[in-house]
Amino acid sequence: MSRQFLRDTQNSDGGWPYFSGKHSWLEPTIYAALALNGESSGERAFAFVRSCALAEGGWRMSADVGMANWTTALCITLYLVNGVQDDAFRNGVHWMLNTIGAEGSFLGRMANLLHPEQVDIDASLQGWPWRPDNASWVEPTAHALVALKKIEKHGGTVSNRLSLRARVEVGEKMLIDRRCGDGGWNYGNKRVWNTPLPSYPETTALALLGLQGRPATELKPSLDAAARWIRETRSPLAKAWLGISLRNWGLPVETAEVDQSEDILLSALQALAEPGGGHQLLSPAGNV
Amino acid sequence: MKRRDLIPMAAIGVAGAWALTHQPKDERPKGPRTRSAVAVLSAQNYESDLAGILQRGLAECKLDVRGKRVVLKPNLVEFDRNTCINTDARVVAAAVEVFERMGAASVCIAEGPGHRRDTLGIAAEAGYRKMIPGFERRFTDLNRDDVALVENFMGDDPMYFPKTILGADLIVSMAKMKTHHWAGATLSMKNFFGLVPGSVYGWPKNQLHYYGIHESVVALHRKFAAKSFAIVDGIVGMEGNGPIQGYPKHAGLLVLGRDLVAVDATCCRVMGLDPVKISYLTHALTGNFAPDWIDQRGELPASVRKDFALLPSFRGLRLV
Repeated sequence: MSRQFLRDTQNSDGGWPYFSGKHSWLEPTIYAALALNGESSGERAFAFVRSCALAEGGWRMSADVGMANWTTALCITLYLVNGVQDDAFRNGVHWMLNTIGAEGSFLGRMANLLHPEQVDIDASLQGWPWRPDNASWVEPTAHALVALKKIEKHGGTVSNRLSLRARVEVGEKMLIDRRCGDGGWNYGNKRVWNTPLPSYPETTALALLGLQGRPATELKPSLDAAARWIRETRSPLAKAWLGISLRNWGLPVETAEVDQSEDILLSALQALAEPGGGHQLLSPAGNV
Repeated sequence: MKRRDLIPMAAIGVAGAWALTHQPKDERPKGPRTRSAVAVLSAQNYESDLAGILQRGLAECKLDVRGKRVVLKPNLVEFDRNTCINTDARVVAAAVEVFERMGAASVCIAEGPGHRRDTLGIAAEAGYRKMIPGFERRFTDLNRDDVALVENFMGDDPMYFPKTILGADLIVSMAKMKTHHWAGATLSMKNFFGLVPGSVYGWPKNQLHYYGIHESVVALHRKFAAKSFAIVDGIVGMEGNGPIQGYPKHAGLLVLGRDLVAVDATCCRVMGLDPVKISYLTHALTGNFAPDWIDQRGELPASVRKDFALLPSFRGLRLV
């Protein structure tokens, strides 16, 4: 059902909007392209993404917004899935390797030293921000880790493999440092003003997606939290991300009927979360 | 002086220079100052005649919405049944009813939560789908709307905003009366953080924290004040570690007005906070926070004051 909805809502430029009738954005386009991988709709979507490449590296996030942000990581994943490693790909990887959480800057570390009670993080562990010159957060870091691990796994042509490995290692440490007491993840902090923060289902799923390849024993409390969340959450978005993540960890996921939503991003994620629905494209080893 | 002593001074110098170059341009009106009407209306619970109370408040503030495209912007953050984080759905439903009755051309609801991505899921959990007639057709997720660039938002820096907001004739900031663990209080002005699209700036809208929370509140107010109105849900607010992890606090009030600074200053006085100590209120380029310039309608803030508990680091904000 979700796939037909996606085919029906694709814009004439090959991209997808967040909601039907609006402009194409990279984020829903990439998830829809992954869900329709191998179909002509997916090919037209990839052509749209390629047309968004910026000369300075990265991809513009929509026709209206001519700058790159975290969706650059999703573009790299889509390029690898399509087996394309051209100049835009290399510039994009370079952009991503040079984009780093601002909490590790001199001013960021000073603020953290002066007021450690405000946010309990190790500011030296820098992941990826939503956009340049901002702090690291869980979701953009998870997407970046998936993309970079995919490059490592499949021998992508990048100029600086040492830098790539170092960013992956620190990005993983950053995620583990920010894990909440219950094993899951909030959006980027685990404790604010000395008060523990609760984990959320969707960010727990995303962090586990970024940590694919780590030993399952090390992440048992987190995988348990994700298994608990997928039973308990009523959020369709969280259920979709948990389905994708748990399947990629090889864990059982109960298949349930979903109501067709007008939300295109959600529909694409629900399609990817189906058994054999393409979730493996968001794993380092998946189908490249 | 040792070389290591110079490092923090240099850092302060850099930060100061950055702040100076990123100040909003001075657009303070040069004409005579006008007084601000703020209605403080008793509403003891959510079963009260909220539509009737709101209608009275809008009349007190002489708001004419005939023919206008109205966007109601509630505060939807996340749902926790143990506390009261969001603008209550019944207040939003009453506002829809009243604005339609008053002849608005359209009444939409729009919000872009700060850190949770499942906006529609939060709305459902918070009862919006169930309690607001036609919610699905009225609602826009501002985090995922199409956007347009607004120049000179913070100094020379532009910022993207949702087209739904840029195209509105009137934005009604429907805030929740809450303490805030970074800003002191979150009311109708801070509620405009939800206008910034997550699709461009992420969750949370971290760019605003880098500009400075108070500076960003001032810049958002400068951009949208001319077409704004405030309705603050203070029937049950939040005290302590707001805006998410605090405790419910009954104040039994709805606070309304055209001047968001005056509304928020009035709410602060109701909450037992000194508005002069809330930086974004004193630095707003327009609006009145001094009581001499506010015409209070309905209840007097001092007579309905209920001190909201504050985190230790914010106890200096207490109104004496």
